[in-house]
Amino acid sequence: MIKLALPAGDLRTPVADALESVGLKVEGYGEGSRTYILSVGGHERAVARVFREKDIPIQIAMGSYDLGICGLAWIEELRARYPQHPVASLRDLGVGRLGLYVASAAETEGLGSLGGRRGLRVASEFPNIAEAFALAARLPAYRVQAVWGAAEAYPPEDADLAVIAAGDEAAVSAKGLVPLLRMLCSSAWLIANADSLAKKDLSPLLGPLAGSGSRGEAQSLRLPPPLPARTGEKRPAPARRQSLRMALPDGHQQRHVVAALREAGLLPLAGYDETRCLRRPKSALAGLEIKVIRPHDMPQLVATGEIDLAVTGRDCLTEHLSRFPSSPAEELVDLQRCQFNVAAVVSEDVPASDLEGALAHWRAQGNRMIRVASEFPGIADAFARSRHLGRYQVIPIAGASEGFVPEDAELLIEGTETGRTLVENRLKPIDLLFRSTTCVIASRERVLSGRRRKLFDQVVSSLRMSANAG
Amino acid sequence: MRHIPQEMCSMGENLRCRGMRDMLPDDMRRFRRVEEAFRTACLGWGYEEIRTPVLEHLHLFTTSGTLSPQMLGRVYSFLDWDGWSGERVVMRPDSTIPSARLYGEYLDGGKLAKLFYVQSVFRFAEGDESREDWQCGVELIGESQPQGDIELILLAREVLARLGLDADVRVSHPGLVRAVLARAGLDAAEQLAVYDRILDGDAGALRELQERLPDVGASLGMLLAVEGEGRAYLNNLRSTFVESIPALEEPLDELAVVVGALEPLGCRCLISAAMVRNFEYYTGPAFHLDVSGQKVGSGGRYDALVSLIGGEHVPASGFALEAAVLADLLPAEAPEARQIVTVVARADDGESLASAFRLAATLRAEGLAAQVAGTAPDDGPRVAASGEGYVLSGVSGKERRLATVEAVSEALRQTGRD
Repeated sequence: MIKLALPAGDLRTPVADALESVGLKVEGYGEGSRTYILSVGGHERAVARVFREKDIPIQIAMGSYDLGICGLAWIEELRARYPQHPVASLRDLGVGRLGLYVASAAETEGLGSLGGRRGLRVASEFPNIAEAFALAARLPAYRVQAVWGAAEAYPPEDADLAVIAAGDEAAVSAKGLVPLLRMLCSSAWLIANADSLAKKDLSPLLGPLAGSGSRGEAQSLRLPPPLPARTGEKRPAPARRQSLRMALPDGHQQRHVVAALREAGLLPLAGYDETRCLRRPKSALAGLEIKVIRPHDMPQLVATGEIDLAVTGRDCLTEHLSRFPSSPAEELVDLQRCQFNVAAVVSEDVPASDLEGALAHWRAQGNRMIRVASEFPGIADAFARSRHLGRYQVIPIAGASEGFVPEDAELLIEGTETGRTLVENRLKPIDLLFRSTTCVIASRERVLSGRRRKLFDQVVSSLRMSANAG
Repeated sequence: MRHIPQEMCSMGENLRCRGMRDMLPDDMRRFRRVEEAFRTACLGWGYEEIRTPVLEHLHLFTTSGTLSPQMLGRVYSFLDWDGWSGERVVMRPDSTIPSARLYGEYLDGGKLAKLFYVQSVFRFAEGDESREDWQCGVELIGESQPQGDIELILLAREVLARLGLDADVRVSHPGLVRAVLARAGLDAAEQLAVYDRILDGDAGALRELQERLPDVGASLGMLLAVEGEGRAYLNNLRSTFVESIPALEEPLDELAVVVGALEPLGCRCLISAAMVRNFEYYTGPAFHLDVSGQKVGSGGRYDALVSLIGGEHVPASGFALEAAVLADLLPAEAPEARQIVTVVARADDGESLASAFRLAATLRAEGLAAQVAGTAPDDGPRVAASGEGYVLSGVSGKERRLATVEAVSEALRQTGRD
């Protein structure tokens, strides 16, 4: 059986069209089916599965899938950390064209001005590429902030640089940033596991795909030269912060948070409601500065003191605290919205109703390694340690986790709101870890005074009252 | 490298992490010999021992002029449990940079420090190659050349001589290749790339350089691809190149002094211009030590390093010997023949066992090796408490009754002497 990994998200439609144009219709793929295992029409020997794009090179490198389609940027992200990975880039499908840019806030005077500057912060969804950039440029004492998304919103307050994907330089500028270096021209590529390519007949899929796209050389990362330090240049000391900085989430939590803010009397926010999501919405409260970023990335910014207050999910805070137990990020208010269980989930076919039974079942089958896939690798790791899973492997994934069990993982650590998706994918929960909810977080070590302190107390007490009223 | 027998692995596969090595008693006996030879020699030259932690901040190693990007691509770095800011830590990939940090932090910049250490460094390697290497290292901080460079080479040779090993000494100077590459008009990044290609024996790199430097032309091969000997070769290099590449004069002068001092002391020096790999911090004479064609150590001058990582500008040089490689070159050693007396408890109750352990402790305090029966093999002399005295057996085929512990230890000492 040939296993093909296909991307979810923005690439879904153009890739479905490209496949269909060479006679490879994947049932349900273009329509966005919620099922993760799809048949490749006309080929009994092939099966397709949908993954988040960034997980695809990893699945191909691990040999779980023979062929995959994903953006070149994600292949390079894997290569930047693991140069020996066994992934062969076969064809450029010519869709999903994007550039990968190093960008900064407006005041930076070009790439050369970064030379020798200590402690630069680089935010990116592509942390390995960001690391390769910083190393090649020989930036002293840099910090890479791996973020789930919205890296473009980080400079200048929360990062000095961002490595982001964008259509072109104009698109980078439209995000309010200055492009300093284009590191890569990315597009969707057909890739293969090198071992599968050497030993397995993949021709039923490779044959038709040979007619699509082009075979051109896959580009590699364009790295900067070592940037010499400028002598005599002193960075201005950071200005003392006057405003209170608050982070609000985008994505599926947004509507819940809008409702909570409305009840707390903190609306309107120009650019943040049920339909709109600007990265820097304007609050009517003087001195309150709002930024909209991914909820996963908030605890880190709260811990480092960049953000004073954030509305995120308890799942994201728990993940952060699982990785960094001494972090000062703490939950202040439970808004009691967007509630769901974070549970250990297995295939319906596992004849057990609890973890001990499932472990006994896998061990009886000679399964020594328990693979745990999760969007929350820190929580998954803490769970595996505390529940004595023995030899285990945590597979960090970006989403679409339901597709991983049973072939590619024994266990998922997964958020389940209604359980419907679990049932559709023949899965069942066997252990409840905790109940997640939308919550307000801040740093235990916050130092606030004067107007900022008053504003902090006002916002928190309004949100607390609205939560209690609910 | 030893492997755990397959039948001992419950999972039917090797339990040891790839590239990691277990040292068994025989390995440790040879390793300790290397360590002792090294420590004795260092103490004799007035050096003091230090040890640096396994974890360091990654940024110590990423600053330009410290480790090369190729080496940085092989370090073990990660976010610590309190690393939420995104700043990484690294498992020490090198000991010189941590030593320079330690010097700047504790030993007052500007003063002379003569330091040595025995510790491991961690670097990724392909396949089964070792990813943890043990180093016997020396750092001489605050001593300017050439005395420091000469002292280090002689010290390293003394360690090897104590181990019965005869080493070839290859000396080099990073300034030689840098001068050629700069004269060829290459920028910093290009210099690094071409330098690596030369080290990898890429003939194309040499050709490209020759095309860029037509006035030097084919003779460049003599500098970059040929290994010469002693002062004679240095003189040849000077007369061939210095007129076209004046920047070669300084490194050639520095090497001439070092070689000029070592040769009369019986130390034959080979000169190899392209030799130093992966460490950007070398600024002056550098050297390799080879035993039977195998590299067992290297070192050199790194005058800029302490200031690069935040200290004052002080001259410095150092070297490291590969302890595990040296240990593998030594013949196997039988364990030290030592008589171990076994104390037999009268019974298995607590009081009798306590009495047996007390007697074993007394014998050890007398300078004998003593164990209690049941905790180790017991085919040597045995002693048991009996009534008011002791019964000693397993010596000269007959049992002896002795009244006191002192009498027991004297009898055992006597058999040891016999």
